[in-house]
Amino acid sequence: MTSTTQTVCPSCGGPVSEADRYCEACGAELQAAAAAPATPALDTDTEPTVEINTNPVDPCHSCGGVVGADGYCETCGTKAVKPRDHFTEQPAPWVAGTCDRGIRHSRNEDAMAIAADAEPGSRALLVVCDGVSSSLDSDVASLAAARAARDVLVAGHAQGMGTESSKNSAVVARLNAAADAANDAVLENTSPDSPNPASCTFVAAVLEDGLLVAGVVGDSRAYWFPDDGEAVGLTVDDSWAAELIATGIPRAQAESGPHAHAITRWLGKDAPDHTPRTTTLRVTGPGWLMACSDGLWNYCSEAAPLADLTRQTAAANGGDPLATSSALVDWANAQGGQDNITVALARLA
Amino acid sequence: MAEFSASVYQNEFLPDGGTDVHAIVTVECKGAGAAGQSGSGDAGEIIIVDTSGSMGADGVRAAAYAAQTALDQILDGVWFAVISGNDRAQLAFPPSPEPVMVRMDQFTRQAAKDAVARFYADGGTAMGTWLRLAGRVFATVPSLTQKHAILLTDGENQHETPEALTQAIESVTGQFQADCRGVGVAWVVDEVRRIAKALLGTVDIIPAPELLAREFSKLIQNAMSRGVAQADLRVWAPQGAEVLFVRQVAPTVEDLTSRRTAVNPLTGSYPTGSWGDESRDYHVAIRLAAKAIGQEQLAARVQLAIGDDVVAQGLVKALWSGDEALTTRINPEVAHYTGQTELADAIQEGLAAKAAGDTATATTKLGRAVQLAAQTGNEEATTRLRKVVDIEDQETGTVRLKRTVEKADEMALDTASTKTTRVKK
Repeated sequence: MTSTTQTVCPSCGGPVSEADRYCEACGAELQAAAAAPATPALDTDTEPTVEINTNPVDPCHSCGGVVGADGYCETCGTKAVKPRDHFTEQPAPWVAGTCDRGIRHSRNEDAMAIAADAEPGSRALLVVCDGVSSSLDSDVASLAAARAARDVLVAGHAQGMGTESSKNSAVVARLNAAADAANDAVLENTSPDSPNPASCTFVAAVLEDGLLVAGVVGDSRAYWFPDDGEAVGLTVDDSWAAELIATGIPRAQAESGPHAHAITRWLGKDAPDHTPRTTTLRVTGPGWLMACSDGLWNYCSEAAPLADLTRQTAAANGGDPLATSSALVDWANAQGGQDNITVALARLA
Repeated sequence: MAEFSASVYQNEFLPDGGTDVHAIVTVECKGAGAAGQSGSGDAGEIIIVDTSGSMGADGVRAAAYAAQTALDQILDGVWFAVISGNDRAQLAFPPSPEPVMVRMDQFTRQAAKDAVARFYADGGTAMGTWLRLAGRVFATVPSLTQKHAILLTDGENQHETPEALTQAIESVTGQFQADCRGVGVAWVVDEVRRIAKALLGTVDIIPAPELLAREFSKLIQNAMSRGVAQADLRVWAPQGAEVLFVRQVAPTVEDLTSRRTAVNPLTGSYPTGSWGDESRDYHVAIRLAAKAIGQEQLAARVQLAIGDDVVAQGLVKALWSGDEALTTRINPEVAHYTGQTELADAIQEGLAAKAAGDTATATTKLGRAVQLAAQTGNEEATTRLRKVVDIEDQETGTVRLKRTVEKADEMALDTASTKTTRVKK
């Protein structure tokens, strides 16, 4: 779950805190507006307007039985997985991801959109967006955002002047454009008069011929796990916890505090700023590129142990990116599945 | 063409570790049409009248008049017969030594009325023989899909053993439906209720013979308006789950649990008899294996089936939640009918204790009944209870047994004990 510590006045758009009963700027009453959307926010049956392709006659995921026309297993009664609740993508054999509702949440507000060229190690684009659960329609908005960003990144081929630094600048410009497109997609999926507009995080990793650039808004993450060498966290969260860590408080302590999941930047109507903060890395050897939501890293935040977990899981799944991403999601669910879980992976051989 | 619909009332939220799911499923039928006219088979009606010596000349005359009134209400084309019963059963119409039925038309109607006019009081009472003959008579017309009888008695079943009656009831269960009426106060409610329950019918007291005609007329009209010959309630529960009970709770309380026959390992079928334009409520309770918080599963599919066709379905769900505001909510329909079921039990147990001379138990049970009737807004039950007990405090259920009670009032309380009121919306 991701939550915001600050919000905006639904009347004038001025900044207000959750404790305020009236807007400092315009005097509008805030509590009534906040209470109003309770019902639609709990509506777990609303299907996203974006289509996800899955096989409608998939067997029951719990017992393998036949799923009835009413959406429940005819043997064990387990509710069939809605396409939005669990989906996978594998644009090329070496790039894949899994996006899952988890256990405790009634809706999957995580989203993922990935793309890759066929030749292993050539070009991979991973985008993960995590919808803010306290806002309306974040499941729809996050998926629209992730796909819009991916489409911008797929279309972008600007290489700069040919030097390493100008190529990096070109990719950063593409990431900025992708974040703009993602933000626009969130706005398009937000009702103009929504008292609690949709919002989500954004992380995108672009790998092109050994150049790795990651950009982030919020607390979704990207990592590089080389087979030989030290694991690298490519992103720094825009979060309350990250600000504490920056002041010297240990990561474990900061990330377990009461506001650990409060993010300070996001995409959406009330976003203060959505320019991704980017990191660039030149990749030489084999390894795993990962983009994930906090549903995974909540259970393993440090880069080194997460790298170990990923390598072990990959080894147990024959090095297949799709099976590995799925197994990592299963692992997070086994830890409690407190949040939606997304894992996208690219394997560089 | 009849149209069925099902709606489910429940609190689907279970607390951590919760296993039991309760739901009220309302099944409604519209456009049922008339008996025997739906094209799915013929309708048959048998009128069974007590002509034992205890009926007396006046009683038999009133019963004959009532039977004639009933004959007027049977639709043309419906197969029918009249049985007169004492310590053995005779086919009064059609006049034949072998079991037989005829179709209703103006001539058979008049002939039947003439035959009924020749009834006279004689002999004892053996209702089992009446039921067996009715079963044989219905069996002579293979095209019948809807078979209904009305049975009138005035006395105790003295001329056969209780076992013989039980065997007779068992031999005709599932063969036809029967609404049973007792006239006067010399008959035994439990005995007649046993027949009516097994044959998916109603039981009631008719205090005086002159009221018979109106009641018979109403019963036949009711039977003739049931265009759906036969339907079954089906309850599917997931593998490993236990169906705790299946009850009809409106318009009357009937425990169906033991009437289950298996459709497949996970689905049970419970006969509901014929349907007119009406709605019935069912209380279904399922025990599941607890799942983790946030998990959702189906607890039951509650269906109405005509033959092999499922014509309506309601889904009973279970959703485990850590939110106490959700899990502690009691569904008003479930609460209401749980109270109404307890009310029926309290009345029957209270009256049984009273009959056995156990004043203390009778006072406690009937006191509880008064309390439940008040809580669930069953004013009819309260009115009937007032004739048997003096109510000191309705809310606490403090009552005293009346010194003198009209036997008919006590029997009316007993026969009506299973009638329920609907939830006030």
